[in-house]
Amino acid sequence: MNDFPTYFALTESDPDLNEIHAALTQPDVGSVVTFRGSVRGETQRDGLPPKTLHLEYEAYEEMAVERMQQIAEEIWERWPLVKGVAIVQRIGKLDVGEMTTLVSCASGHRDQGGFEAARYGIDRLKEIVPVWKKEVDEARGVWVEGDYRPNSTDNR
Amino acid sequence: MSNELSIRLFATLKDRAGQPRVSITLDEPTAVNVFLEQLAAKYPKLATTLPSSLVAVNRTYAERTTIINPGDEVALFPPVSGG
Repeated sequence: MNDFPTYFALTESDPDLNEIHAALTQPDVGSVVTFRGSVRGETQRDGLPPKTLHLEYEAYEEMAVERMQQIAEEIWERWPLVKGVAIVQRIGKLDVGEMTTLVSCASGHRDQGGFEAARYGIDRLKEIVPVWKKEVDEARGVWVEGDYRPNSTDNR
Repeated sequence: MSNELSIRLFATLKDRAGQPRVSITLDEPTAVNVFLEQLAAKYPKLATTLPSSLVAVNRTYAERTTIINPGDEVALFPPVSGG
Protein backbone atom coordinates (compact mmCIF):
# COMPACT_ATOMS: atom_id res chain seq x y z
CA MET A 1 0.00 0.00 0.00
CA ASN A 2 1.18 3.51 -0.79
CA ASP A 3 0.98 6.62 1.34
CA PHE A 4 -0.54 8.91 -1.27
CA PRO A 5 -2.98 11.44 0.14
CA THR A 6 -6.67 10.52 -0.02
CA TYR A 7 -9.84 12.42 0.73
CA PHE A 8 -13.07 10.39 1.05
CA ALA A 9 -16.21 12.06 2.31
CA LEU A 10 -19.99 11.89 2.49
CA THR A 11 -21.13 15.35 3.43
CA GLU A 12 -24.20 17.53 3.66
CA SER A 13 -22.13 20.67 3.19
CA ASP A 14 -20.70 22.10 -0.04
CA PRO A 15 -17.19 20.69 -0.53
CA ASP A 16 -14.37 23.23 -0.86
CA LEU A 17 -12.62 22.44 -4.16
CA ASN A 18 -9.52 24.41 -3.26
CA GLU A 19 -9.18 22.59 0.03
CA ILE A 20 -9.55 19.18 -1.66
CA HIS A 21 -7.07 20.04 -4.41
CA ALA A 22 -4.62 21.34 -1.81
CA ALA A 23 -4.96 18.07 0.13
CA LEU A 24 -3.86 16.12 -2.98
CA THR A 25 -1.08 18.45 -4.08
CA GLN A 26 2.32 17.27 -2.84
CA PRO A 27 5.59 18.74 -4.19
CA ASP A 28 5.77 16.06 -6.91
CA VAL A 29 2.22 16.76 -8.18
CA GLY A 30 1.76 18.99 -11.19
CA SER A 31 -1.72 17.91 -12.34
CA VAL A 32 -5.08 17.40 -10.69
CA VAL A 33 -8.07 16.29 -12.80
CA THR A 34 -11.49 16.77 -11.19
CA PHE A 35 -14.89 15.50 -12.27
CA ARG A 36 -17.69 17.50 -10.66
CA GLY A 37 -21.29 16.28 -10.87
CA SER A 38 -24.28 18.56 -10.23
CA VAL A 39 -28.07 18.35 -10.01
CA ARG A 40 -29.67 18.51 -13.46
CA GLY A 41 -33.06 20.22 -13.58
CA GLU A 42 -34.51 18.04 -16.33
CA THR A 43 -34.55 14.28 -16.75
CA GLN A 44 -35.63 12.10 -19.63
CA ARG A 45 -36.12 8.81 -17.86
CA ASP A 46 -39.43 7.03 -18.42
CA GLY A 47 -41.74 7.03 -15.45
CA LEU A 48 -39.82 9.69 -13.57
CA PRO A 49 -40.68 13.34 -13.12
CA PRO A 50 -39.65 15.33 -16.22
CA LYS A 51 -38.76 18.38 -14.13
CA THR A 52 -36.64 17.77 -11.06
CA LEU A 53 -37.13 20.25 -8.23
CA HIS A 54 -34.46 18.76 -6.04
CA LEU A 55 -32.71 15.51 -5.20
CA GLU A 56 -32.51 13.74 -1.87
CA TYR A 57 -29.48 11.53 -1.32
CA GLU A 58 -29.19 8.76 1.23
CA ALA A 59 -26.09 6.67 1.95
CA TYR A 60 -24.94 3.62 3.86
CA GLU A 61 -22.05 5.70 5.09
CA GLU A 62 -19.79 3.11 6.73
CA MET A 63 -19.84 0.92 3.64
CA ALA A 64 -19.64 3.87 1.24
CA VAL A 65 -16.35 5.11 2.67
CA GLU A 66 -14.87 1.59 2.43
CA ARG A 67 -15.92 1.31 -1.22
CA MET A 68 -14.38 4.75 -1.95
CA GLN A 69 -11.09 3.44 -0.56
CA GLN A 70 -11.50 0.38 -2.79
CA ILE A 71 -12.00 2.59 -5.88
CA ALA A 72 -8.76 4.45 -5.07
CA GLU A 73 -6.94 1.11 -4.82
CA GLU A 74 -8.38 0.03 -8.19
CA ILE A 75 -7.21 3.33 -9.71
CA TRP A 76 -3.67 2.86 -8.39
CA GLU A 77 -3.56 -0.65 -9.87
CA ARG A 78 -4.64 0.61 -13.30
CA TRP A 79 -2.76 3.93 -13.37
CA PRO A 80 0.39 3.49 -11.29
CA LEU A 81 1.45 7.10 -11.88
CA VAL A 82 -1.72 8.49 -10.30
CA LYS A 83 -1.00 9.63 -6.74
CA GLY A 84 -3.60 11.33 -4.54
CA VAL A 85 -7.30 10.48 -4.99
CA ALA A 86 -10.34 12.35 -3.65
CA ILE A 87 -13.92 11.03 -3.81
CA VAL A 88 -16.79 13.04 -2.35
CA GLN A 89 -20.53 12.33 -2.37
CA ARG A 90 -23.05 14.90 -1.14
CA ILE A 91 -25.99 13.58 0.86
CA GLY A 92 -29.26 15.16 2.00
CA LYS A 93 -31.36 17.60 -0.04
CA LEU A 94 -29.68 19.16 -3.08
CA ASP A 95 -31.18 21.78 -5.36
CA VAL A 96 -30.74 22.12 -9.12
CA GLY A 97 -27.21 23.27 -9.94
CA GLU A 98 -25.62 22.16 -6.67
CA MET A 99 -22.56 19.91 -6.64
CA THR A 100 -23.47 16.29 -6.00
CA THR A 101 -20.19 14.47 -6.36
CA LEU A 102 -16.53 15.02 -6.99
CA VAL A 103 -13.66 12.76 -8.08
CA SER A 104 -10.11 14.18 -8.23
CA CYS A 105 -6.93 12.40 -9.31
CA ALA A 106 -3.46 13.89 -8.90
CA SER A 107 -0.32 13.00 -10.82
CA GLY A 108 3.07 14.47 -11.68
CA HIS A 109 2.06 15.36 -15.24
CA ARG A 110 -1.21 15.62 -17.14
CA ASP A 111 -0.44 12.61 -19.37
CA GLN A 112 -0.03 10.13 -16.51
CA GLY A 113 -3.60 8.82 -16.38
CA GLY A 114 -5.37 11.43 -14.29
CA PHE A 115 -8.13 12.06 -16.86
CA GLU A 116 -8.83 8.36 -17.36
CA ALA A 117 -8.62 7.66 -13.64
CA ALA A 118 -11.14 10.37 -12.76
CA ARG A 119 -13.51 8.95 -15.39
CA TYR A 120 -13.05 5.46 -13.96
CA GLY A 121 -13.63 6.80 -10.44
CA ILE A 122 -17.01 8.38 -11.18
CA ASP A 123 -18.14 5.35 -13.23
CA ARG A 124 -17.17 3.01 -10.40
CA LEU A 125 -18.80 5.21 -7.77
CA LYS A 126 -22.07 4.82 -9.66
CA GLU A 127 -21.64 1.03 -9.59
CA ILE A 128 -20.51 0.11 -6.09
CA VAL A 129 -20.77 3.00 -3.60
CA PRO A 130 -24.02 2.52 -1.64
CA VAL A 131 -25.74 5.85 -2.22
CA TRP A 132 -29.27 6.40 -3.57
CA LYS A 133 -30.99 9.47 -4.93
CA LYS A 134 -34.66 10.35 -4.92
CA GLU A 135 -35.83 12.70 -7.68
CA VAL A 136 -38.53 15.02 -6.38
CA ASP A 137 -40.97 17.15 -8.38
CA GLU A 138 -44.15 19.00 -7.35
CA ALA A 139 -46.14 15.78 -7.11
CA ARG A 140 -43.88 13.10 -5.70
CA GLY A 141 -40.48 11.64 -5.09
CA VAL A 142 -39.12 8.62 -6.94
CA TRP A 143 -36.09 6.59 -5.88
CA VAL A 144 -33.67 6.08 -8.76
CA GLU A 145 -32.22 2.59 -9.04
CA GLY A 146 -28.99 1.89 -10.89
CA ASP A 147 -28.44 -0.77 -13.55
CA TYR A 148 -25.35 -2.39 -12.11
CA ARG A 149 -25.62 -5.38 -9.78
CA PRO A 150 -22.36 -5.77 -7.85
CA ASN A 151 -21.33 -9.29 -6.92
CA SER A 152 -18.58 -10.76 -4.80
CA THR A 153 -16.00 -10.12 -7.56
CA ASP A 154 -16.54 -6.43 -6.83
CA ASN A 155 -15.12 -6.93 -3.35
CA ARG A 156 -11.45 -6.78 -2.54
CA MET B 1 -32.24 -13.69 24.25
CA SER B 2 -31.29 -15.56 21.14
CA ASN B 3 -29.26 -14.25 18.23
CA GLU B 4 -31.38 -11.40 16.94
CA LEU B 5 -29.92 -10.07 13.70
CA SER B 6 -30.69 -6.41 13.01
CA ILE B 7 -30.81 -5.62 9.28
CA ARG B 8 -30.38 -2.12 7.88
CA LEU B 9 -32.65 -1.02 5.02
CA PHE B 10 -32.09 1.81 2.55
CA ALA B 11 -34.02 3.70 -0.14
CA THR B 12 -36.99 1.78 -1.57
CA LEU B 13 -36.65 -1.01 0.98
CA LYS B 14 -36.77 1.38 3.90
CA ASP B 15 -39.84 3.10 2.45
CA ARG B 16 -41.52 -0.24 1.74
CA ALA B 17 -40.95 -1.49 5.29
CA GLY B 18 -41.82 1.87 6.83
CA GLN B 19 -38.80 1.53 9.12
CA PRO B 20 -34.99 1.75 8.77
CA ARG B 21 -34.28 -1.64 10.34
CA VAL B 22 -35.89 -5.06 10.58
CA SER B 23 -34.72 -8.08 12.53
CA ILE B 24 -34.88 -11.84 12.49
CA THR B 25 -33.54 -14.57 14.70
CA LEU B 26 -30.43 -16.17 13.30
CA ASP B 27 -29.12 -19.01 15.45
CA GLU B 28 -26.79 -20.62 12.96
CA PRO B 29 -24.86 -19.79 9.77
CA THR B 30 -27.45 -19.25 7.04
CA ALA B 31 -27.16 -18.73 3.29
CA VAL B 32 -28.39 -15.41 1.92
CA ASN B 33 -31.17 -17.01 -0.15
CA VAL B 34 -32.56 -18.83 2.90
CA PHE B 35 -32.23 -15.69 4.99
CA LEU B 36 -34.24 -13.74 2.37
CA GLU B 37 -37.02 -16.35 2.45
CA GLN B 38 -37.21 -16.12 6.23
CA LEU B 39 -37.30 -12.33 6.03
CA ALA B 40 -40.06 -12.34 3.40
CA ALA B 41 -42.16 -14.59 5.63
CA LYS B 42 -41.76 -12.29 8.61
CA TYR B 43 -42.14 -9.01 6.65
CA PRO B 44 -44.68 -9.56 3.85
CA LYS B 45 -44.38 -5.89 2.81
CA LEU B 46 -40.81 -6.61 1.70
CA ALA B 47 -41.56 -9.90 -0.07
CA THR B 48 -41.83 -8.59 -3.63
CA THR B 49 -38.74 -6.36 -3.28
CA LEU B 50 -36.34 -8.84 -1.72
CA PRO B 51 -35.63 -11.00 -4.80
CA SER B 52 -34.09 -8.04 -6.65
CA SER B 53 -32.38 -6.49 -3.63
CA LEU B 54 -28.65 -6.29 -3.10
CA VAL B 55 -27.35 -7.78 0.12
CA ALA B 56 -24.27 -6.51 1.94
CA VAL B 57 -22.66 -8.63 4.65
CA ASN B 58 -20.05 -6.87 6.78
CA ARG B 59 -20.06 -3.98 4.26
CA THR B 60 -19.14 -6.12 1.24
CA TYR B 61 -21.42 -7.36 -1.55
CA ALA B 62 -22.84 -10.84 -0.99
CA GLU B 63 -24.00 -13.54 -3.40
CA ARG B 64 -27.18 -15.54 -2.79
CA THR B 65 -24.93 -18.40 -1.61
CA THR B 66 -22.91 -16.27 0.83
CA ILE B 67 -23.20 -17.46 4.43
CA ILE B 68 -24.44 -15.02 7.07
CA ASN B 69 -23.19 -15.73 10.58
CA PRO B 70 -24.83 -14.59 13.82
CA GLY B 71 -23.37 -11.19 14.68
CA ASP B 72 -22.68 -10.17 11.07
CA GLU B 73 -23.60 -6.67 9.85
CA VAL B 74 -26.29 -7.11 7.18
CA ALA B 75 -27.90 -4.48 4.95
CA LEU B 76 -30.46 -4.66 2.12
CA PHE B 77 -30.85 -2.07 -0.62
CA PRO B 78 -31.60 -1.55 -4.32
CA PRO B 79 -28.87 -1.13 -6.97
CA VAL B 80 -27.05 2.09 -6.15
CA SER B 81 -27.72 5.44 -7.82
CA GLY B 82 -25.22 7.92 -6.41
CA GLY B 83 -23.08 10.39 -8.28
